[in-house]
Amino acid sequence: MHLGASPAAGQQGINTSVAKGRKMRYQEFLKILGVVVVLGLLVSACATPAPPSPPEEAPTPTPPEEAPTPPPPEENVVIYAMVTSFPDIDPSISFSDDSVVVSNAYETLVWYNPPGSEEVLSPGLATSWESNEDATEWTFYLREGVKFHDGTDFNAEAVKYSIDRTMEMEMGASYIWWTVEEVEVVDEYTVRFTLSYAAPLDLIASSGYGAWMMSPTCTEAHDSDWLNEGHDCGSGPYMIESRERGQRLIMTRFDDYWGGWQEGQFHKVVFDIVEEPTVRQQMIEAGEADVTYLLARENYEGLDAREDVTVYINPSFQNLLGLLNHKKAPLDDKLVRQAISYAFPYDDLITDVMMGVAVQAHGPVPTEMWGSSEDLFQYSYDLDKARELLGQAGYPDGGFDLLMTHATGDLDEAQVGELWKAELAKLGINLEVRAMSWEPQWDLAISDPMQAQDIFVMYWWPDYVSPYSFLFNMFHCEDEILFNDGYTCDEEFDELIDRADGLSGSDRAEAERLFIEAEQMLIDNADAVFFYDVMNEHVLRSDIKGYADNPAYPHVVFFHKLSR
Amino acid sequence: MRRWIYLARRLGLAALVLLSVSVITFFISRVVPSNPAAKWVGPHPTKEQIAAASIKLGLDKPLYAQYFMYMGDLSRGDFGVSVRSHQPIIKDLKTYLPATLELVVVGTIMAVVIGIPLGVFSGAKKNSLLDHLSRLLAIAGVSMPTFWMGLLLQLFFFGKLGILPLGSRVDNAISIYHPVQQITGFYLIDTLVTGNLPAFRNSLVHIILPAFTLGTYAIGLTIRMTRSTMIEVLEEGYITAARAAGIPERTVLFRLALKNAIIPTLTVVALSFVYSVTGAILVEVIFSWPGLGRYVTEAILGVDFPVIMAVTLVVTVLYVFVNLFMDLLQAFLDPRVSLG
Repeated sequence: MHLGASPAAGQQGINTSVAKGRKMRYQEFLKILGVVVVLGLLVSACATPAPPSPPEEAPTPTPPEEAPTPPPPEENVVIYAMVTSFPDIDPSISFSDDSVVVSNAYETLVWYNPPGSEEVLSPGLATSWESNEDATEWTFYLREGVKFHDGTDFNAEAVKYSIDRTMEMEMGASYIWWTVEEVEVVDEYTVRFTLSYAAPLDLIASSGYGAWMMSPTCTEAHDSDWLNEGHDCGSGPYMIESRERGQRLIMTRFDDYWGGWQEGQFHKVVFDIVEEPTVRQQMIEAGEADVTYLLARENYEGLDAREDVTVYINPSFQNLLGLLNHKKAPLDDKLVRQAISYAFPYDDLITDVMMGVAVQAHGPVPTEMWGSSEDLFQYSYDLDKARELLGQAGYPDGGFDLLMTHATGDLDEAQVGELWKAELAKLGINLEVRAMSWEPQWDLAISDPMQAQDIFVMYWWPDYVSPYSFLFNMFHCEDEILFNDGYTCDEEFDELIDRADGLSGSDRAEAERLFIEAEQMLIDNADAVFFYDVMNEHVLRSDIKGYADNPAYPHVVFFHKLSR
Repeated sequence: MRRWIYLARRLGLAALVLLSVSVITFFISRVVPSNPAAKWVGPHPTKEQIAAASIKLGLDKPLYAQYFMYMGDLSRGDFGVSVRSHQPIIKDLKTYLPATLELVVVGTIMAVVIGIPLGVFSGAKKNSLLDHLSRLLAIAGVSMPTFWMGLLLQLFFFGKLGILPLGSRVDNAISIYHPVQQITGFYLIDTLVTGNLPAFRNSLVHIILPAFTLGTYAIGLTIRMTRSTMIEVLEEGYITAARAAGIPERTVLFRLALKNAIIPTLTVVALSFVYSVTGAILVEVIFSWPGLGRYVTEAILGVDFPVIMAVTLVVTVLYVFVNLFMDLLQAFLDPRVSLG
């Protein structure tokens, strides 16, 4: 008992003093914590000052507190699982994957038709158009009865305003309009363009970047930030309803759309951002997404075998090239360039790596685009021929190093390098394959050609659909290097493509002939290695009707044309 | 008084750390080969467009002037503009930071609620079946790669059982019919405050898998840490005395032993909390979670330096303050730790 009582009493004493000390520490701790919290709040208050009138993200209506209404049963919603986010949905700036959204909210004067169509172009907001003989003056006759989403009428003033705004902002693909000297409003529904040099303005007007028509009243009243918060000023079939940054964007149908609405068309379009391909695949299999793209290639066969899913593989207007450094030995020698072109295993790449989701290129312009031809010469894998050419060039046993750079994270480009490296090694050539972020890679190319990579692997796709985009940007002489990263310069070639571009508005057949002639020059000279034309893959739920891919608008799904 | 001096010194140091981080990241971002003006314009910029953009972005000014401009803007709460999206970064941060914090907070709560009791029992019943199982769980949690864990959970709970969603913060239907009104950016709080119960239930269901995936590492760590410190503490004399005095085992474990054993665990939990803010990248990608990790990944791949700088600064602030908070908390919990 005694033993038990004494420690208990002692413990009580200790407990009291400990409790006191703890209370003091507790109070002091609270004080200090209070100061830290206040300081933290001050810092955060300084860091995020309340804007004068807080324009909250898309003022979403607070849902009713009781008994939230279930979705109306007749609402037909389609979900597009997107690979990336939409950097900028301002129609004057958009020049990226954001075009999937922009193309459903805005319209162009003219649309470019998918390959295989009878006509290259079809009417959009312009019903017809014409040019003078040398394509320096263009007149567009506009569609009547078109309204923008804010109720403003579409007319010649709106066309002038839209193009002026895009040009003044000097962003994205605004340069496609550089030839335009004056936009003249002839009457309510006629607009005339005077150009400083001949250009295919009909093709330019069909561009998926920088050629969108927008409501002047709406765009004047709001700025680019407002548009990017999840609004639009277009006339397209769908209006942007809301945008949750990094997560999704929702569009809703524009009831007054001039094209009208029919049974089965979608009421709402949801763009979900899902980077992970396995997750996108699970979504499409489970019916949680209706459209997606860029899944693991090896899974397409299995997916297409399912009844509820359809895989579409179509040509694209994007290709992969290896630009060869013409300033530095040994690639300054045409024979060596030809030799390494013969040393690439084109068929193996397309069958084993790309799983058939690519075709060997016929030169620098994608084969399915106008201004290209299947008759153009293709290099084939032929190591004997390569060896012979190297011998003629004075390198019978190879014996030199080459540096190839490609974009970090692009597995296809990396595979191109690895396959090529193995083949070149058989010729005694050591290829170093270096993955670099785009910026340092480009920086290396545009600084000093003598220090630059020997082979610059890159994709190209056009702003408006013309071979000139490929030929001018990557092969025309450049005083200050931008994208001619093989440093080619041939005045005869330049003259040919400039002439072809001038004619592509007035005499497209002749322009096409000249472009093909110029492409043959590049192929003969082996100015680049033309690896492959990319194919577009899209995976859709089988109950979606009316889908057709249009490579002029990459990965764009025109939802007004679809139904379920 | 010593504590106040200590606090002032720590805050001064924090300011110095922030200043240094801003200098380092700013100058590194300008030395690394990149062309922000070209990036600003778009994928196929022309010379004229790049020149115009350089002036607009102030890139034609000397480096020190650019730094002072940046710091001037920063002091007004302006983190600058993303060169990729052309949007004010502060707007992005207001969405992405709470999204990540919500995920990390729920993950950490899971770590505490699951990890600590398991660690306590495991330590108390050394070498029992429960101990072996929880050690196995701890090792699995610490060593299993996050993305693998995430994909497995998705396959099982979405693919096989169909009871939990694949990803994102709420379903499409909720975004359309019961949109979440952003107040704090924490969906679980915002939906409750606005009485948007369908959205609350939905966001709760959506956060389970990503938070658990993110929390597995912390759960494993917590179990191991609690277990080892518990074993140590349970051998102390005062525990033997308490047991001899007949104090119930539950009280001995959770009131007497855990109080001493929890201190190192709390430090570990706090540090893993901050680490998770940036470590959430993979979880955010797999679960399409619009958070800071995914945001900064896109920025790094796109060499979007204003965004990289902003996120670096925000994370530094978090680190500094969580560290300070933990030091204060330790001093409060453990009288042997003195400040100053």
